[in-house]
Amino acid sequence: MISFENVNKYYGDFHVLKDINLTIQTGEVVVIIGPSGSGKSTLLRCINKLETITDGTLMINDIKLNDKKTDINKVRRNIGMVFQHFNLYPHKTVLENITLAPINVLGVSKEEAKKTAEYYLDKVGIPDKASSYPSQLSGGQQQRVAIARGLAMKPEIMLFDEPTSALDPEMVGEVLDVMKALAKEGMTMVVVTHEMGFAKEVGDRIVFIDQGKILEEATPAEFFAEPKEERAKVFLSRILNH
Amino acid sequence: MDFAGAFSPDNLSFLMEGFYVTLKVALVSIVLSFIIGGAVGTLRFAKIPVISHVLAVLVESIRNLPLLLIILFTYLALPEMGINLSITVSAIVALTIFESAMLAEIVRGGLISIDKGQMEAARTSGLTYIQAMRFIILPQALRRMVPNIVSQFISLLKDTSLAVVIALPELLHNARIIQAHHPNEVIPIFILISIMYFVVNYGLSILSKRLELKTA
Repeated sequence: MISFENVNKYYGDFHVLKDINLTIQTGEVVVIIGPSGSGKSTLLRCINKLETITDGTLMINDIKLNDKKTDINKVRRNIGMVFQHFNLYPHKTVLENITLAPINVLGVSKEEAKKTAEYYLDKVGIPDKASSYPSQLSGGQQQRVAIARGLAMKPEIMLFDEPTSALDPEMVGEVLDVMKALAKEGMTMVVVTHEMGFAKEVGDRIVFIDQGKILEEATPAEFFAEPKEERAKVFLSRILNH
Repeated sequence: MDFAGAFSPDNLSFLMEGFYVTLKVALVSIVLSFIIGGAVGTLRFAKIPVISHVLAVLVESIRNLPLLLIILFTYLALPEMGINLSITVSAIVALTIFESAMLAEIVRGGLISIDKGQMEAARTSGLTYIQAMRFIILPQALRRMVPNIVSQFISLLKDTSLAVVIALPELLHNARIIQAHHPNEVIPIFILISIMYFVVNYGLSILSKRLELKTA
């Protein structure tokens, strides 16, 4: 479970996140949408402390994230993250990309890490790419490797920061399919995306954020049929009607 | 011009002695400055409070001084402060101080050039900062730094000749001694030592290109 209680974040004078209250239950798929610069990526990045919050309380399960005593490396083991630009390690093979953290963080043996990696590569549909380097893969394949890399740590939570925004349109589907399968298996997922089809189909809840504030929280059915907030209506009309 | 006289066995062996000193001083300084420069550059990149600032001031100060001044300082000024170093050690200390500062900047620049997403991906997977540096950032940065590091080593090897001012018996120094005794041999001697410097340094730059190809 992830919970934000009265969370604020400032970059200097700029108030990026304003009084955020949000609870995400285990197994839930929460899709965060909003205009660019609204703070949605920042909100996501607070969950694994890539960004630190200025005040309020942020809990992951029973661990307070903004507490000096919290060992952030331990918390992060349990939270996978997929980035817009994949961020695969270019000097390592696909297999090495996936096994690096299990071996060095969890202390798993090389053979076991390799087996796990192969299992997840198979799962994301590219079992034959283990010995390739990231530069030899298409964008869609790279992003699927990145998902496998996250899953290999067997995390309870997966974060997705615009995972399809840097992909050729043709390759968006293959990445979304992997994410859909993951959602069906009950993974707790927090997804920042502009893919409204995905949000509608897979999301348990939509969180609409603008200018650092959560303006609306609703099920996809409610939100897409009839958003309550005027800003959400304008946003939806702009991205759906084109 | 006296080619036959210039390349007499005595002259050649005297030049080789000088060349040996040049290579020895250069090699020791290269190893030391690589270790110190690598550590300093990494510490500056890591932005550790106070330490990184102190190192920044040191590096910038040293980088903006002439190497010749540093060489003279270690040999002439340090004894005034009660530190007496032999000529060879003075040269090594001066070269190491100067080249460490140059290498520190190369290393820091190489580290900065690695996309921030690499560190983020490594850290979010639970790796510690040191693990992330060791497995992800440094290996990538080092590959990018190879050409600059090697060209700095080439500069270092050439710069050993500046130690002629403190009478380090290196290649140029020994060539000057022959020239002083036999002024008519100066051209062949200078051609010969030019070739010696060139062969080693060009060898280094070929090595650098090989390394680049290998890691590309």
